Amino acid sequence: MALFRKPQYSSMPARPDRPRDIASKCDQCKSILIRQELEKNLRVCPRCGYHFPLTAWQRIQYTLDEGSFCELNAGLEPVNPLGFPGYDDKLARARKDSGLAEAVITGRGLIEGEPAYVGVLAPEFMLGSMGSVVGEKLARMLDEAGAQGVPAIIFSASGGARMQESIFSLFQMAKTSAALARLHRKGVLYISVLTHPTTGGVTASFAMLGDINIGESGALIGFAGPRVIQQTIGQTLPAGFQRAEFLLEHGMLDMVVERKELRPVLARLLRLHRGGER
Amino acid sequence: MKRVLIANRGEIALRVIRACRELGLETVAVYARGDEDSPHVALADRAVCIGPAPAPLSYLNVQNILAAALGSGADAVHPGYGFLAENADFAELCADCGLVFVGPSPAAIRAMGNKDRARQLMAAAGVPVIPGTGAVADAREAAKLAGKISYPVLLKAAAGGGGKGMRLVEEPGQLARALELARREGEAAFSDATVYMEKYIRRPRHVEIQILADNHGNVVHLGERDCSVQRRHQKLLEEAPCPALSPALRRRMGRAAVRAARAVRYSGAGTVEFLLDEQGNFYFMEMNTRIQVEHPVTEMITGIDLVKAQLLAAAGEELAIRQEDVAFRGWALECRINAEDPRQDFQPSPGVITGYRPPEGPWVRIDGVARAGWRVPPHYDSLIAKVIVWGQDRAEAIARMERALGEMAVQGIATTVPLHLKILADPEFRRGHYDTGFLARLLAGDGR
Repeated sequence: MALFRKPQYSSMPARPDRPRDIASKCDQCKSILIRQELEKNLRVCPRCGYHFPLTAWQRIQYTLDEGSFCELNAGLEPVNPLGFPGYDDKLARARKDSGLAEAVITGRGLIEGEPAYVGVLAPEFMLGSMGSVVGEKLARMLDEAGAQGVPAIIFSASGGARMQESIFSLFQMAKTSAALARLHRKGVLYISVLTHPTTGGVTASFAMLGDINIGESGALIGFAGPRVIQQTIGQTLPAGFQRAEFLLEHGMLDMVVERKELRPVLARLLRLHRGGER
Repeated sequence: MKRVLIANRGEIALRVIRACRELGLETVAVYARGDEDSPHVALADRAVCIGPAPAPLSYLNVQNILAAALGSGADAVHPGYGFLAENADFAELCADCGLVFVGPSPAAIRAMGNKDRARQLMAAAGVPVIPGTGAVADAREAAKLAGKISYPVLLKAAAGGGGKGMRLVEEPGQLARALELARREGEAAFSDATVYMEKYIRRPRHVEIQILADNHGNVVHLGERDCSVQRRHQKLLEEAPCPALSPALRRRMGRAAVRAARAVRYSGAGTVEFLLDEQGNFYFMEMNTRIQVEHPVTEMITGIDLVKAQLLAAAGEELAIRQEDVAFRGWALECRINAEDPRQDFQPSPGVITGYRPPEGPWVRIDGVARAGWRVPPHYDSLIAKVIVWGQDRAEAIARMERALGEMAVQGIATTVPLHLKILADPEFRRGHYDTGFLARLLAGDGR
């Protein structure tokens, strides 16, 4: 007696012409990394330690307790205050590609059970550049944190101020800095986490104003980029220039933390600064 | 399905290649550097090198194996056992690449891969699991729970391991003090005084049921294997049927195993492992979602080629037999011949096999890679051959195995053959009254 027979009717699973998005190449060591392996390792190359950039939602997923995040001011959307040519199209494309309304997500959540207000810049939306809505959302979040007496954390990843909003973008440096000053006067903790890349007006305002400034391993952190500096001063820059580790060595950061350590480190800092408990 | 890549090495790679050949399927072997001269490379239609000798860089290297499969035009991947066989991510990636993974769905592998979840799933499906409790609050609650589970019970520190914080309680009078001690040990060793309670199974046998299922919802079981002869959870000798099973108990265990398979929509060949106590109660341990090393003993008493069955099920064919068509005939034994020295605490014994003579004669089957002149590599498991015999009854099978092992000669490296002969000669084994503690007792007896 035959053990098996061909089924009378069968459905053939559709075969993809070529493999779906199953692997990524490490930008640093060029290893081919399987999607699941990379995601399990929080998008850090298991071979060389290169930190792949994260989208804002990935950052929230990797850092906050599952299901704890509650978004604030999700409805705020940018306009084109100067009628800058092509800006409307650029915004429309960024919205479509990233699924976000602006280059920042703000809200409240828990890290290992510790409450915190969190702002995350989204490098997938116009390189995380700061326009008036980015600044406004961050300032509102910081004021809310101050009112509630709950620590605030901002994860920066930005090309700087958004040129299409020109002076309105530059105003945001002052606005966010002023909000941080108010938070500071209330004695509420603010932690700045600088991730790859943090540059321009973001570095020159809230990203460097943390009570504690943390750089993620390997992150490029600076005001102007290394190429511009090299061309301007006509000198070769030292190895590792503007990387988080370099900045730590030169006193610009308080600590450099690997991505997989970031969540426990933040939780510990939040616990240590818990108000009223000694 | 026309061309199958075998993502494995050793005897199981040979076994799969042979099944493919009998089904008219082309085969692609993969190999690590240093394994160029291994038998599976020679037997396959073609072979692809997938990296350096250490397994993580080769036989576990998902990227290279998928590249080898796509590059060689394979349309299916057979994972064998070990390596990537129970890696749900790998199974999923095969599907993403349009390759048939010869095994169950990634969801079934995942469901059974998590021990706690599998236990809950099985309990919900009506498969008996070892009765146990959550954290025990105090002595009064403990007494109530123990009464419900029935003595003897085991108290286990929640954070425990390696026997620390574990207390056996035979009767109600010992409970309060044992709870106190387990707590204190847990607190001292792991800073956690939380204690759980579980039914203690005295002298259990390891009895597993072979399952065969297709992609269309049909499931049959192919009877049991007794794998109680093990050392530190490494099986050394298996037999089918199990000497302790009545036909009624076999039916009950078989039905439970089929329920287990259905609960995860299993397809292909799989094994549901149970602990069987002296009263004939059995409890789910885990399900192995792959072909097992000891599958030949089931093949010998059922006449069913399990590896071919895996391939046909993966190709989408429908199971044509029903449970009542499965018949058992005679008795089969398997000895795993490892390149290990039983006199040196089972140290691996890699090296060149200078002389090799496998046993021959009626009803003796060898699934092995051992060859004269072949170097046993130190990087992988030490199984060099499985000797399988069939007999009309248990006595004939044992006599035949003794005869076969007596003919077998392996020179240049140490093997477990002397230990197997010792097991076969042991009165406890010959009576069939053995349990998972048997081999440890036998080995401890040597020291006396």
